[in-house]
Amino acid sequence: MSVSAAAPPASSLSAARAALPQLPRRLDPLALLALPALLFMAVVFLMPLLLLLWASVRAEGGFSLAGYVRVLGDSYYIGVIGNSLRLGLVTAFGALLLGYPAAFALARARGYAQAILFALVFLPLTVSIIVKSFGWGIVLRRDGILNWLLINLGLIERPLRMLFTEESLYAGMINVFLPFMVLPIYSVVRMLDPRLSEAAATLGASPLFRFLRITLPLSLPGVVAGLSIVFSLAVAAYVTPSLLMGDRYMTMSMVMAKAFLNLRDWQLGSAMAAVLLALAVAVVVGAGLLQRRLARHGQ
Amino acid sequence: MTTMPSLAVEATAPARTSAPEHLVVSGATKRFGAVTVLDDLSISVAKGEFVSLLGPSGCGKTTLLRCVAGLLRLDRGRILVAGAEITRLPAHKRNIGVVFQNYALFPHLTVAENLGFGLRAQGVSRAEAAPRVAEALALVRMTEHADKPVTALSGGQQQRVAVARALAVRPSLLLLDEPFSALDRKLREVMQVELKHLLREVGITAIFVTHDQEEALVVSDRIAVMNAGRIEQLADPATLYGRPASLYVLDFVGQSTRLTGQVMESAEGEVTVDTPLGRVRAPGLFLSGSQVVVAVRPEAMMLDGVAAGMPPSAGINRLTTRIREVSFLGSRTLLHLEVPDSGTTVNRALIELPRLPEGASPGNPVTVAFRAADTMVFPAS
Repeated sequence: MSVSAAAPPASSLSAARAALPQLPRRLDPLALLALPALLFMAVVFLMPLLLLLWASVRAEGGFSLAGYVRVLGDSYYIGVIGNSLRLGLVTAFGALLLGYPAAFALARARGYAQAILFALVFLPLTVSIIVKSFGWGIVLRRDGILNWLLINLGLIERPLRMLFTEESLYAGMINVFLPFMVLPIYSVVRMLDPRLSEAAATLGASPLFRFLRITLPLSLPGVVAGLSIVFSLAVAAYVTPSLLMGDRYMTMSMVMAKAFLNLRDWQLGSAMAAVLLALAVAVVVGAGLLQRRLARHGQ
Repeated sequence: MTTMPSLAVEATAPARTSAPEHLVVSGATKRFGAVTVLDDLSISVAKGEFVSLLGPSGCGKTTLLRCVAGLLRLDRGRILVAGAEITRLPAHKRNIGVVFQNYALFPHLTVAENLGFGLRAQGVSRAEAAPRVAEALALVRMTEHADKPVTALSGGQQQRVAVARALAVRPSLLLLDEPFSALDRKLREVMQVELKHLLREVGITAIFVTHDQEEALVVSDRIAVMNAGRIEQLADPATLYGRPASLYVLDFVGQSTRLTGQVMESAEGEVTVDTPLGRVRAPGLFLSGSQVVVAVRPEAMMLDGVAAGMPPSAGINRLTTRIREVSFLGSRTLLHLEVPDSGTTVNRALIELPRLPEGASPGNPVTVAFRAADTMVFPAS
């Protein structure tokens, strides 16, 4: 569960946040519909999470922050945290760069074109990461398709090392998480009234001015949502970095897995998990607040 | 018709005859796939004139407006404003204001920011724009709402902001796409007069798109009735109502009695038509035996008792039938009359009276009279 620890707190936190203003009023009977989900989450998520947090501060004969000192005081682990953050940021902004225009195309497309674009967005989700990394191997290895193509086009003299590089990891991560960027932006852009941009045009605004002053600000809530989802997924990623880079690029989740599975070092693993959780929660809550501000300004 | 008093005022309005043509559209053609939305359409609008494009949905009126605004490209044809060709200019270089049906106010900006948007987009500095924004705010009496988000405004206020935003950049022409359709009836009537007055004061040339004939009669100097991508008739409201060029225009503007019939006699510019309610004489040139539709406006019809006072000249048509239904409308009363085979929608008879006459109830016999001169004849379609 440490692998996916970052994603669920987003939903439970914002749910709690949304429920807060409701409390003074009488409880809506419909709220009871959330009960099964709440019980389920309590058993499979909240209890293990509390046990994990407890494990991170438990020591022989009582309470200790030694695990956190080890994680935050060791330059190796700081480097690992840096790796994870860099991976999260590069993946999130890389996916934004590719996903933002794609979301617009998706929102504007009609009929068959839209169905095909939707399929292109969702198809990567249906292909197992194992299959994908095998495919990347074929494309990226020294005698792979991409090197063959570049050499035959005369662009390079001898094959480039592309597999097991940081760049290939970024490419793989963006591939995996792109749908989570496209969908929230699409859902916002789809609701944008095209007449707003037309109205701006009739007022003398150039296409660039229209984009910067109308389209971009009104699509920001989707951008913030996409960034926070992709960042929190990518910062906690385990499978893709392990398959594409292995030990050459240690992320927080990989350290956790090693600590729990190989070293049986519960203190290290759970402290690292708690740090990751804190980072992800901070980003998600921060993004949520930013989004609310943007939404309020937009109303 | 409630609109008649304002028609009388309009007839004296000094609009166009002397002013030069400001907007000229010639040979405009636009197709969407296999559908021809604008079909070789031409129209000229004088400087300072208010023209309505009136027609049912799908007649091409909004497409024409969007082509003039530069939001759509014509397949063929030309558009000139003040003598300059703008056919191929993009919308942001045309300086033509548009008030959209849903107003299209920028939801993330305040009222003042909405009004200043066009000036800022055209490179006017914030300092220079401020007094012009204040002026536009004052023009539509929205000064105290300057810093409100536009989403906090009522429908009428939003419409005023949309108009002020379009006027703030001093466009050469203002296009309004169903600007009143989002307002409830009462407010709509107020805003129609208010907006017309405002635009007249500004002195701008304006084109309204509407499917509401009453609205077109209220706001326009001239009305272009559109049908299937063409202009069926372009005329001032009184002419359009009194002398519709076709059955289509007759049906689209105002109500009328209309009876199908056959021409029995045709002589000296007058025809005698055999209708389901009896013989009707009317001015017109039709061959004997041709199928026609006879039409009379409801306020041109009288009860026979009233007509009895008129000279018993040959110029009076009389029809006897029964009252089918009575509609009391406050300032006037409409009597719907029985017409044989009125099950078809082709034939119907209406008479409008200032007040409810005694004994006017469904089933009672009635004789109505109207002058031959007030009777119109159209070829049956």
